Amino acid sequence: MGNRYLEIFCREAEEHLASLQSGLLVLEKNPARTELLHELLRNAHTLKGSARMVGLADISAITHTMEELLKGMEQGLRRVDAGTIDLLLKGADAVALITSALMRGVPPDIDVERFVAEYERGESGRLLPAEPLEAKAEGAVADTVRADVKTLDNLVNLVGEMIINRKRLEAKLDGLKELCYELPPEKAAPFTAFRGELEEDILYLGFLIQDLHEKAMGLRMLPLKTISDGLERLVRDLSLQLSREVQFEIEGQGIEMDRVLLDGLKPILIHLLTNALSHGIEPPEAREKAGKPRRGSVLLSARHEGNSVLVEVRDDGRGMDPAAIKAAAVSRGVIEAREAEGLTDEEALYLTFRPGFSTAEIVTDISGRGVGMDVVKKNIERVKGNVTLSSETGRFTRVTLQLPLTLSVLDALIITCGDETFAVPATYLQEILKVRPSEITTMGTDEVIKVRGATTPLYSLAGMLGLPARRDAGDAPLPVLVLKHCDQRIACIVESHVGYSEVVVKGLGKQFGTVRYLFGATIMGDGNPALILNVPDLFQPGGGAPRAVLSPEEEAAARRRPKVLVVDDSITTRTMEQSILAGQGYHVVTAVSGEDAMEKSAAESFDLIISDVEMPGMNGFELTRLLRASETYQETPIIIVSSLSRDEDKRQALQAGAQAYIVKGAFDQGLLLETVQMLIG
Amino acid sequence: MATGNDNGYDIRSILNQMREEYWEALSEEESEAKQMLECLVFTLGGERYAFETHFACEVIRIPKLIRVPAVQSLVTGIFNLRGDITAAIDIRPMLGLAQPELGPTGRILVVRGDLFSTGILVEAAHGVQPLDLEQFETATAGLSAERKQFIRGHFNLEEGAILLLDMEALLAAPELLVGEA
Repeated sequence: MGNRYLEIFCREAEEHLASLQSGLLVLEKNPARTELLHELLRNAHTLKGSARMVGLADISAITHTMEELLKGMEQGLRRVDAGTIDLLLKGADAVALITSALMRGVPPDIDVERFVAEYERGESGRLLPAEPLEAKAEGAVADTVRADVKTLDNLVNLVGEMIINRKRLEAKLDGLKELCYELPPEKAAPFTAFRGELEEDILYLGFLIQDLHEKAMGLRMLPLKTISDGLERLVRDLSLQLSREVQFEIEGQGIEMDRVLLDGLKPILIHLLTNALSHGIEPPEAREKAGKPRRGSVLLSARHEGNSVLVEVRDDGRGMDPAAIKAAAVSRGVIEAREAEGLTDEEALYLTFRPGFSTAEIVTDISGRGVGMDVVKKNIERVKGNVTLSSETGRFTRVTLQLPLTLSVLDALIITCGDETFAVPATYLQEILKVRPSEITTMGTDEVIKVRGATTPLYSLAGMLGLPARRDAGDAPLPVLVLKHCDQRIACIVESHVGYSEVVVKGLGKQFGTVRYLFGATIMGDGNPALILNVPDLFQPGGGAPRAVLSPEEEAAARRRPKVLVVDDSITTRTMEQSILAGQGYHVVTAVSGEDAMEKSAAESFDLIISDVEMPGMNGFELTRLLRASETYQETPIIIVSSLSRDEDKRQALQAGAQAYIVKGAFDQGLLLETVQMLIG
Repeated sequence: MATGNDNGYDIRSILNQMREEYWEALSEEESEAKQMLECLVFTLGGERYAFETHFACEVIRIPKLIRVPAVQSLVTGIFNLRGDITAAIDIRPMLGLAQPELGPTGRILVVRGDLFSTGILVEAAHGVQPLDLEQFETATAGLSAERKQFIRGHFNLEEGAILLLDMEALLAAPELLVGEA
């Protein structure tokens, strides 16, 4: 998970550790005050749950042992004595040590693995340094400074303004050149000389700005390694859970990308790796039978290509079977049988991206089923990326993501269309053609052209955008852009293309939400804005490309943002769930307890409720029952997210009226999202 | 790690507050003499309208407006306001007014709402005038429902009436928001 969650976790852990410490010390002096145990138990339990959420298995293991010790004391199975309390305090110390090391981004000062092992056996941690908390705080001052992310973003924005300004200066320089031409030669000479000097100055300024821009962007760039560490863990845990033997390798960990992009990439990679393990790699016996090594291989690699980064996930598993995919797509109503027949094997692979292709019959905690590839595709579109699939049945599956290095500056082709100027991000551009009207043929009501032998639908960009279009009669060649997105290609007639340019991406301001066809705007050399097209929208239903059309009800539902109530006493869990859901456009309200949730759910209505089980006061099962008894929430889907993983707990959740049960241990955001999407779309 | 400093001591906000108190005190003194409302006056659909100056950021000539495809017609286009992309909106249909073409006297009034700044296209701007509240009538009888929604009343002046726009209601109107939230 992202560093942000770690930070939140560390802050939350501090609170729980402080209250554990003070509670334990009081208990040590007054062993009779067993009423304190309940609160201590809750502290340990919440810590455990949150640690699992952010994938800190060591802390989760330590706090688990602590929880067991406390439980033993509460149930009277264990004496409340100095030895046990000491053990508990040592546990709290170790957790404090690990979190403080995490905060500082350095390895903890103890052999965590050995400590965990010894701690589980009940040996008090003799590995702990004497002064765990204060010992390292006075460490040498590193030659780095901490900068607020906002400050960095501001810096990059300001540099963006400078780039725009340089362009304006360049435009002025051109204007000066024209003026010089108009002067009689004898008067022009000094101006021309002056212009030449100015040109040099502006050129130098340009170099400086370029350099500054690279440095400023560099500050925002982080290596892939920052997110890939957690992935090894994920693969390891999943392969154990699924009984697969897997060799996981990562290449290109040093490739750097914009922080924002990395945040967007992580859930995508989790999805893809989960898919590779649960659908790709076969069980060891099946692999042996097929004459493959028992151990499957999963490779995550990253490399630069031009101005983008290619990230690939490849597994040598069973591959994707085009025939099976077609059959599944037809049976799930994604496409018509006749349409399916016409698809090539390669095209069939992309059916998995269609909404509705992944269906889940049951919702349980582990994702041993079709993780929604349409969600992956949506996420990739959000970061302006492109995805390609290739596979050979029985041999391999490879998913390639093409991502820009950053989202704040894009390489774009500047075009004019409908009397306006637009920037088309170069990632989506396959080629630029000149097409004579006589080369255009009609198929039904649609116009098509041949691009390298492939029949490609042809549209007028102005027509798609609802702008005034004009097409001159005669056989003058028309400028046509061939755009690609996943496996699809479309050709768009534009008025003209002006050339490639690096454009600074600006938001449209708060008056604008997500506007169809638009990714943002940039400011051109003349000071006027130009809109940046969001190319995937051109491929969407209604945008012209042949695609399944949503029913009016589906469209109405899509327009409304569903509201979700997240109930959890742990701030880590709350924040994570909130940001996962908000990132997908859900409107999220949080509640810190069952009581709080009852109040909030009475004040406004929600489409879905996600609740923890163990909370101070009313627990999640009680909350579910109360909600089910109320008139407004009789039918509202409720998801229980808990660190309790026994079947008994799941059964209780379902009896209380919950629709789904997700265990925090196996928590991945894809699963939560998918469950939510399945329940409320 | 970002450190929140919400309850910290912030000289800028204190200065702002002092300045606001100063202006409030000034306007109170003035209001004792005569109840005046500082308004920006302009022409919309051939009629004279006004709103309180505190909503206005600036008045500019209409720059080149870039059309935004596939959005409501209210949004005439966007323009560059010193580096910020800002929408230019034609609110005349919201008020049920005719839309005579914007000539050389046309202006954009940049106004700031709680959430966003936006540019209102007007046929002409006549500057800031203190308007006498004695002459203000809240009566909106005779106005169509759509106009009532955004008009608080009118000033009966010798040279003709000036309608007072309810800027708060106007800026909060959902019609102004573009695209999905």
